[in-house]
Amino acid sequence: MLAAALLAAGNAFAQDSVAGADYAAVAGIDSRLAVWIAAQLHLMFAAFVLAVPMFALFIEYLGWRAERTDRVEARRYDWLAHEMASLLPVAYSLTAITGALLGFLLFAAYPKVMRHLTGVFGPTFVVYPLFFIAETLCLYFWYYGWRRWQGDAKWFHIVLGLLLNIFGTIVMFIADAWATYMMTPAGVNESGALVRLYDAVWNPGWMPLNVHRLVANVTFGALLCSAYAAYRLLLSDNARERALYDWMGYTGNLIALFTMLFLPFAGYYFGFELFAFSATYGVTLMGGVLSWLFIIQAIVIAVLFVGAAYYSWLGLLRIPGSEAQQRWSPVFNVLLIAGFAVWATPHTMAASIEESTGGFHPVLGALGVMAPKMIAVTLVLVVLYSSYLLYRRAGRVPVVAWASTGTRVEWGLVGLMALTIASLGVYGYFAPAHIRIKTSIWQIYVLIGGIAVTFALDQALLRGARTIAAVRWGTMPRRGQYVLVLLAAVIVWLMGLMGYARSGARLNWHVFGILEDTSAEAGLPSLGEAALVITLITAVFFALLGVAFAIAGLAHGTDERTLAEISPEAGLRGDTR
Amino acid sequence: MRLREAWRARVPLPTSVVLIVAGVYLALKLVRPVIPGSVILLYMGFVIAGAVIHVTLDDGRIRRFADFFIDASARDPGAIRAQRWALLAVIPLLLGWWVYDALRPSYAPPVEIFQRHPTVGEEVLKRIVVPAWAAEPKAWRPEDVATGKRLYEANCAVCHGEKLDGQGLAAEAFRYPIRPANFTDAGTIAQLTLPYVYWRLNVGGLQNQFNSAMPKWVATADEPDASSLHTNDLAPDEAWRVILYLYRATGFEPRTSEAPAAEHAKH
Ligand code: HEC
Repeated sequence: MLAAALLAAGNAFAQDSVAGADYAAVAGIDSRLAVWIAAQLHLMFAAFVLAVPMFALFIEYLGWRAERTDRVEARRYDWLAHEMASLLPVAYSLTAITGALLGFLLFAAYPKVMRHLTGVFGPTFVVYPLFFIAETLCLYFWYYGWRRWQGDAKWFHIVLGLLLNIFGTIVMFIADAWATYMMTPAGVNESGALVRLYDAVWNPGWMPLNVHRLVANVTFGALLCSAYAAYRLLLSDNARERALYDWMGYTGNLIALFTMLFLPFAGYYFGFELFAFSATYGVTLMGGVLSWLFIIQAIVIAVLFVGAAYYSWLGLLRIPGSEAQQRWSPVFNVLLIAGFAVWATPHTMAASIEESTGGFHPVLGALGVMAPKMIAVTLVLVVLYSSYLLYRRAGRVPVVAWASTGTRVEWGLVGLMALTIASLGVYGYFAPAHIRIKTSIWQIYVLIGGIAVTFALDQALLRGARTIAAVRWGTMPRRGQYVLVLLAAVIVWLMGLMGYARSGARLNWHVFGILEDTSAEAGLPSLGEAALVITLITAVFFALLGVAFAIAGLAHGTDERTLAEISPEAGLRGDTR
Repeated sequence: MRLREAWRARVPLPTSVVLIVAGVYLALKLVRPVIPGSVILLYMGFVIAGAVIHVTLDDGRIRRFADFFIDASARDPGAIRAQRWALLAVIPLLLGWWVYDALRPSYAPPVEIFQRHPTVGEEVLKRIVVPAWAAEPKAWRPEDVATGKRLYEANCAVCHGEKLDGQGLAAEAFRYPIRPANFTDAGTIAQLTLPYVYWRLNVGGLQNQFNSAMPKWVATADEPDASSLHTNDLAPDEAWRVILYLYRATGFEPRTSEAPAAEHAKH
């Protein structure tokens, strides 16, 4: 869609470009602002339609596999996958509309840039719509053929889903090539003439951004699906339906949390390549104009994690007889808040003239450096993991003979893990920088190792455990659902923030070091202005998403008989904890 | 258990929540040197979020919280009634104060968000040529570093300190919005490339939008402000020698694009 619109718009403006205009005002609006909003909106919908088929297909596959062992569970998974996919058709149109808008704005307002990009990427502009059409076809056949290709034909449906994912990923990779070329250009000479298309596509930033976006999209898509589940739950007056949507929200949240753990690493990888490309990026992002974005990011991430933890503590309320586990929630709450307060403490502080101690606070400054932050964030992960262990235990009684010793050893190990992480951090704090980097890596090893060992132990402990109280899906307090909506809003805002950081880091360049931005609006906005625009984008996105939710909710309801069959109320046999 | 019951009977949930929030606030306010308001705001955000989560963890708690105000009865002990009225008075008063405080005119300059390293365009850095003798840390000549040390002590140490720790005699006076850099901290020259540090000496901070006390050290004679205080004090070669000294004395290596330091990633 995008490229088709681009080509059309491109032709229309080809005549103009004879005159050689570098920039054109479109209807008197601020082009930079307009492109920013259109690009970010397009990206969010694109992220959504790329990510949802990934985990929806995975869930569908799980259902297909379960067919032989447990028909109810198989159908429930199939329902979930279909429910998530039901958001796709509308989201798809919105992706196309925002994409066309972006393409039009770019060609209309930035002829110079688009001339350059077309010169370099011409062939990809042709291939791109072909893959997009392939993706579209797969999507519509996959979604609308769901009922048709069940049973013996299910394999065909799964293959369609797989193709959809492959084409979708290719489409994103192509668009990533354009975006990263503008940051870390390669394959062109000093004056910007194309030398080798292959290098321009596979530029230094390309793979890191591909990886980062793939992972982040899944987090993003899963949280939006959770928000949809919350929306349906809150509107439903049918207990069985509520049970299903509660389960859907829970599953989406779990997927999001799991993938979120990989995001920092993907981020480091991307940042690493950027800094290697130009030290200016390092200074701009980590010490310069954009460094405050990362402080805001730290706070927003804290909100995400605290919200997710709160949701999981409220989740205990759906399990009768989990009072023993619930007693820990207030303790974990205190630990989490304290941990995130340290994690978000800035090293360089904004201060008025009376408060100023010169940018660095002698007492708090000690918290603002790497070692204490590493302790805080790894311990926070230990606390989150402990919450999860308790959640698994709720309403179940282990039957193995060594249960009580095992439990003691398990929690002893968790405590030991926390202690080791803290000691490593304290040691690292006083050690020189090159050792400190090593201790922080060791903290991660201890965390991963500790989780692996205790989780294996937990599996063994709970083997054949007696379930005295199953999860009563749909009975969670309603505020838990609002938390899911909040988390979705937060991740959308965060994505807008980081999108701005990525694009803003180029400063006054369209194509870094090759094509300079000489337009009147080239300067970066102030922090406050940027935050406002990002908030506006989030609001518009949610308004559009609300339409998508409403349409998806209209199109179909699950009929009563199916509900009775598959609702977790009917006895959740495979407890999915 | 019994103790807890007794405590709950005397200090109902709303009072303990308010006490904890106020206690944290006071503790933060008491730290010296003062913690900037922006940071206190951040911490209080976390604390209040934690309090809301705590109260809403289960329905029983919410009820206990609300009933304290709603389910009031004249038969409650005097201490409880006093607390209720105190909270009902204190919370609106605090909000009112907050609004007043935000709206009253103030003559203080606005809070500065200082950038650790002013941002410079790639095109500017590209034009700075590192002399061959200064480009490769392994090949730095001891005599250049020694000259650099002499120049540093004469020109920079008043602010940046004899030990390069940012504790020079004049440092305290220049603390707003940011004090002279502490070069032994991993967050300054260890993060920077040679052309960047040279550019920093070249532009200073006082005379332009970067707003710091750092003077401008190098300038060509035809620059418009070449005659102002502190400009032209160092010839380009001298500036490079000072830079070599900064790195040698702290043991850091200048950053090169190929080997980004990992430390900077967390401020
Ligand atoms: C009047 C006090 C003063 C003097 C004298 C002074 N500086 Fe600075 N310098 C500062 C201040 C304040 C900062 C921190 C704010 C900034 O980066 O602009 C700074 C920052 C710097 C930085 C940037 C560090 C970073 O992390 O970005 C360098 C490099 C530097 N000074 C080098 C020198 C050298 C070399 C000299 C002597 C030739 C010198 N300064 C003399 C006050 C001074």
